[in-house]
Amino acid sequence: MTFRIRQIEITADGRRIARDTDIAQAELSVGRAAESDIYLPDLAVELRQARIAELSGKRITVEATGTLGFTIDGAVTLAATINCGSGAELRFGNSRISVSLAADEAVLLTIERFDNASGESDEKRSFSLAGVMPSRRWTSWIAALLILGLFLVLPITSHLTREPDPKAQVIGDGSWSPGKLSLAHHALESRCEACHVRPFESVRDAACLSCHKDLHDHAPPQRLAGARADPPLGERFLRAVARQFGKPGPGACVECHREHASAGRMELPRQQFCAGCHGSLRDRLADTKLGNAGDFGMLHPQFTPQVVTDPGNRAMRRISLDDHPRENGGLFFPHKLHLESLGGVAKMGSTLRGERSYGNQLACKDCHHPTEDGVRFLPVRMERDCEACHSLVYDRVGPTFRTLKHGNIPQMIADLSLAQPSRVVVPIRPRPGRYAAGGAYYSDFTAPGGGSVLNRAFSRQGVCGECHTPVFAGGQTSVMPVTQPMRYMMNGWFSHKPHAQQKCSSCHHAEASTSASDLLLPKIAECRTCHLGESSRAPVPSGCAMCHSFHPAASAPRSAKPDRN
Amino acid sequence: MASTPHAGMRADHKAVADHDGFLRHARFRWIKVALVVCLIALIGYFAADVKPRPYGGSWYGYTLGTAGVLLIFWLALLGIRKRAMTAGRWSLKAWTSAHVYLGLALVVIATLHTGFQFGWNVHTLAYALMMLVIASGIYGAAVYAVLPSTLSSNREQLTLSQMVEGIRAIDRQLHEAAQPLTHSYTEVVLAASEESPFATSLWSRLSGKYPHCATARALTAFQNVASSPDTGPAFATVETLLIRRKAQLDRLRRQTRLKALLEIWLYLHIPGTIALIAALTAHIVSVFYYW
Repeated sequence: MTFRIRQIEITADGRRIARDTDIAQAELSVGRAAESDIYLPDLAVELRQARIAELSGKRITVEATGTLGFTIDGAVTLAATINCGSGAELRFGNSRISVSLAADEAVLLTIERFDNASGESDEKRSFSLAGVMPSRRWTSWIAALLILGLFLVLPITSHLTREPDPKAQVIGDGSWSPGKLSLAHHALESRCEACHVRPFESVRDAACLSCHKDLHDHAPPQRLAGARADPPLGERFLRAVARQFGKPGPGACVECHREHASAGRMELPRQQFCAGCHGSLRDRLADTKLGNAGDFGMLHPQFTPQVVTDPGNRAMRRISLDDHPRENGGLFFPHKLHLESLGGVAKMGSTLRGERSYGNQLACKDCHHPTEDGVRFLPVRMERDCEACHSLVYDRVGPTFRTLKHGNIPQMIADLSLAQPSRVVVPIRPRPGRYAAGGAYYSDFTAPGGGSVLNRAFSRQGVCGECHTPVFAGGQTSVMPVTQPMRYMMNGWFSHKPHAQQKCSSCHHAEASTSASDLLLPKIAECRTCHLGESSRAPVPSGCAMCHSFHPAASAPRSAKPDRN
Repeated sequence: MASTPHAGMRADHKAVADHDGFLRHARFRWIKVALVVCLIALIGYFAADVKPRPYGGSWYGYTLGTAGVLLIFWLALLGIRKRAMTAGRWSLKAWTSAHVYLGLALVVIATLHTGFQFGWNVHTLAYALMMLVIASGIYGAAVYAVLPSTLSSNREQLTLSQMVEGIRAIDRQLHEAAQPLTHSYTEVVLAASEESPFATSLWSRLSGKYPHCATARALTAFQNVASSPDTGPAFATVETLLIRRKAQLDRLRRQTRLKALLEIWLYLHIPGTIALIAALTAHIVSVFYYW
């Protein structure tokens, strides 16, 4: 086999010169040694680096004879077999030897020196993603500057340079809002600076009071300070930190009214908020009239309703239900008699069924009418609620009757004075039970001791005296003023409306009451069948705010108020 | 730190430990620390009576937020710390191990800090960036555990420049071998040898799919021709060279794909971290600006 060695050289002016040398040997040596068949004067090449030998057919072998290998098609190896038909490229140091087959079947070894200046670092870079991705450093800078510009510099600049006009809005501070404002403050959603008045200053009460002008203090500040229980060590520390950061102390509006919590109603204060002071109030405020209250189910004083104690001057006093208060509203009225399922009243009621909405017996609703809002009940009115049975007819003229006017005593005296005793309707029956002919029912103007018509009317059995207590004042006969309180709990809120599915008798035991002085209010124990503390498993877990308002007001607490938009 | 009096005594132990990766470092010491941190954060979250609902501005929220921001800055310091390889208790490996596991604990700390209140605001932006950085970090740790062995087995002891040089060598041979061919064939050979082995599209790098590969096209053209009767010996040579080029190209492309999969997360992790620090700054300053 013939090896044809083609040496490519480049002249000074850049021309390529190929010189062919044919060597008819079975084996060639490659190295830096001068006697090598393929002489490579390159310090990176060993003196005797490799041997090229012919193999059968068109194949040759290349073997390393020193310690260094050689490169074939880019890969370093110590021995290789090459099919000259398909060729290969060997590399020794800075020389490339490409193996191929010449037209005359000689093995052509083309030797060419090359400049080894190709940057390896460039190749490494080509393998890494750096070639196809934007620079991490620039991406970082751009992202950071964009975020700082949009979310910090823009809003702060806009805030500091805005016009004093209250309608001027701060640009970009919407991105600072951590959550929606409550329903009541929804209109302020894009007006952060309405509450956050000064930079780096926490929201102050003054900002709240600028709109909420008619709010009352819970108690004088000194009293509040005295009432507050000493917080535990951890919380004291946190308050000290909060003070350092300029947060307003306990008692500030924002301590209780947390904003940015959600878009619904602002959360009601938790029981713990009240119990913090009221749970052990008496320990700190010796002169307080309030009992300790920390949980409706566990720690809450008995109700102390405001009861009429002296009807004459309508004097009222708060008395605990535990002290069995008696009410004196100035009326005689036995609930039991009126609610009995049998007897005269029931009979009377059923007789009147045609013209009134009475049933087989009287029910609460026949006399007690709720207020329009359903919260309470209106006072009972004689004309509407009693007169169907308790007729004030006193005279009959032909086919018609004359009736006394309720509530006007001088008029009544005048009317009765002019009535002809012979004509005064005096049925001869005690009441209730028996009826005059035709079913009509008349008052009894008789008195056990006889006397004038007027005296008979005021007597205990008389038309006035059966309900009212006669008094003699200012030279005139009159009756005790009647007081029907619509509200007993002056500091707690109770609405009948949410209790509409209950029967009246489940709380008010009227069917057993024989006297109007029975105060038919349920005690706390009865409420506790459904209502227990906020975190209880009762049917209705009830926090303080369900009945009480922090800011003293006669109206309903916020829990009972409808949503404001 | 490494110069403790016990350094010599610990040498044996260290020699064993040194074979563990950063994930298993010191018998999972940092995963234990991270779990304890998460547990404390969770217990505190449920124990703290925050009214009216848990949120970042509560005292517990501030505690978690402070812990979170300190942790984030410490985690980001790895970028500086990694430039100094040291050994010992605070070795780079220990630091990296802590970086991974405390970074995971940050998910719990920061999520509890939010009180699960999210919205279109700078605060949630900071949270989202943090989660992006952590997610990319999880990916990074996972590929570092799996890919390097695949990467070196694919290399078959070649250096990267040898891979490129191999293709260049074939290109030079192609250039010679294709001399006798007519223009229509030299055109496809030229297109194949002029094609850069490195894809410029990120998608090709990551998927390893090269739908417009000129070498594959040239090979198809030659394989079709090879079956016709009037093909000379040059056709067969060029075809063989093209097959070799394709094989080498495939290996190089597998290498670039593995490298791309190994590196891609850093393009989210690093700029994400810097963006997170910017968003975090905006978050903290804005909270105190509208205090």
